[in-house]
Amino acid sequence: MSAEAPRADDHHLARTDEAEMFERLSRSNLVTTWRWYLGVGVAGAVLLWGLIVFLYMAMVGMGVTGYNKPVFWGLYEASLVFWIGLSHSGTLISAILRLTHATWRAPVLRGAEAMTAFTLMVGGLIPIVHLGRNWRVYYALPYPSSRELWPNMRSPLMWDAMAITTYLLGSLTFLYVGMIPDLALLRDKSAGWRRKFYSALSLGFRGTHEQWRRYHVASTLFAILIIPIAVSVHSIVSWDFAMAKTPGWHSTIFAPYFVVGAIFSGIAGVVIVMAILRKAFRLESVLTPLHFDNLGKLLCTMTLLWGYFYFTEFLTVWYNRNPEEWEVFGSYGGHYLPLFLTMVICNFVIPFPMLCLKRVRRSISLILVPACSIVIGMYAERLLIVIPSLARRNDPFIWANYFPTWVEFSVMAGAAAMFVLLYMLFAKFFPIMAISDIKERLFHTTGRTIGGMTVESIAQVEGEGEAHA
Amino acid sequence: MSTVIVGLFEGVETAARAGRALKGLSLPAGSVTTISAVPLPDGAIVTDPEPVRFPRIVIAGWFVGAAAGLGLTIATYMLYPLITGGKTIVSVPPTLIITYEVAMLGALLATLFGGGREMGLLRFPPRMIHDPRIHDGKIALCARVEGDEQARRAMDAMKTAGGTEVRAEEGEL
Repeated sequence: MSAEAPRADDHHLARTDEAEMFERLSRSNLVTTWRWYLGVGVAGAVLLWGLIVFLYMAMVGMGVTGYNKPVFWGLYEASLVFWIGLSHSGTLISAILRLTHATWRAPVLRGAEAMTAFTLMVGGLIPIVHLGRNWRVYYALPYPSSRELWPNMRSPLMWDAMAITTYLLGSLTFLYVGMIPDLALLRDKSAGWRRKFYSALSLGFRGTHEQWRRYHVASTLFAILIIPIAVSVHSIVSWDFAMAKTPGWHSTIFAPYFVVGAIFSGIAGVVIVMAILRKAFRLESVLTPLHFDNLGKLLCTMTLLWGYFYFTEFLTVWYNRNPEEWEVFGSYGGHYLPLFLTMVICNFVIPFPMLCLKRVRRSISLILVPACSIVIGMYAERLLIVIPSLARRNDPFIWANYFPTWVEFSVMAGAAAMFVLLYMLFAKFFPIMAISDIKERLFHTTGRTIGGMTVESIAQVEGEGEAHA
Repeated sequence: MSTVIVGLFEGVETAARAGRALKGLSLPAGSVTTISAVPLPDGAIVTDPEPVRFPRIVIAGWFVGAAAGLGLTIATYMLYPLITGGKTIVSVPPTLIITYEVAMLGALLATLFGGGREMGLLRFPPRMIHDPRIHDGKIALCARVEGDEQARRAMDAMKTAGGTEVRAEEGEL
């Protein structure tokens, strides 16, 4: 029985040298450089310092922070909003790109999803740091205790706890499920303890037709479910403020304004993380200028949206001239002018004109300028939301200013180091690139000749058993 | 354990030819499948006879979560009533928020467990058929057969279509 000769038009799954591709995409897992050890060492040291200072604060009391009457929320709360905001774009972008079948999405997915998971972990810890009596955090858990101390479900902080927990679990699940085929790949390519490790994590995924089919349905369902959760989380974070009758906070626009700001800072965070991953793991051929161009366009749109929301918020207060609210906004031109200018310049004046230019969006070093600017500007915005409203509360006799102490700076530096450390460990032990998604995209892509040009053509499966080229 | 004929294929079309030839053997539904590093459209080589059922579990999970959220909120109000002048004990807007979050959590967990169960994850019978060479771009076509005659015909069909390293293995699909 002789085998038939392979047909010239046979559709191969391997579009490149698979071994070379695996090495290129798994570089973070396969090669450990001295820079990685240095990064882990520095991040670990800063995290340790943050922990020590946190323990000092826990023992001595919140008096070592810059908090005063009436500014009971400061750097910690602003950082909470900032970190939860940063978490937004990772999973949200990934879910939206999956659902819309954006063809350029594959190299961006994993890094963005991991960013969400780790920023949420950091953000989720901050309320505990801020608690004061941190050891009594279990009071927030709904369980029948002998003291009958049940959490107050009417409190927006309780809604926050529920929403952040749901989003963290959802994001971790979304990240993990997306990784299963790549963990199976690493299982098959590794030996020793790594093989056992990846075998356990890949849960016996082999890539049978039935498994892939269900995997795709599960991925789509996760993407559908995670979008409304993401929107709800930052809405609820905004309601922490908006539910209080504090001037500057009690606003109906706060929820969409927070969501827009979160997506805005989140996309900027994704751009920065992608640029670092590209450089650190030599992923130039995978994370191309096209990806940064597309993310830059999204960022440009969000710059405009953020500007629109901020102007709308400002306009109603200006027109109304409610004295209590106007005092808060008035302080933006006084004591908080540097913060206000930082916010406006970094969130709009610098990024908008830059992101309009294709040359900037397609240059990795240039696009980092508006991305970093936005992250700084959004941190300033979070500080402006939290602090002036408390510092200029209704009664002028209690007005006071606030400046964080070394304790708050140290603890928040530790939080940032925790994010860096978690990300570096993740990149070392887990596939930082969505290898299966990249392979799938390559498999669906062919060159199609139109006149004198060959353009990329992508086959899209619309329904079961239907393939449209 | 059953006997499975496994053949490796370089391309989709050759594997599809083998798949069509295997259909002629009248194997029971679900006896032929592919193992690949990339998902293939249903019907390209083999067709999955089973519908994907777990989205129903997801809907059920949403309702279970909603009931849990509603129960948690109302039970909290009742067990620890905050009596405030002019306000109801059970407050509707917070109840809706908590219910929504727990309902979404229920749906997410149902997707994880329902999807994982239907994908056959965390099932470790003595031996599952697998070939790591799928990561080099190959497609493993697998057919569960009964009896020597069926095995021989399945192997012939795969070899004729262009399959390489066609062999019989004992294990589960």
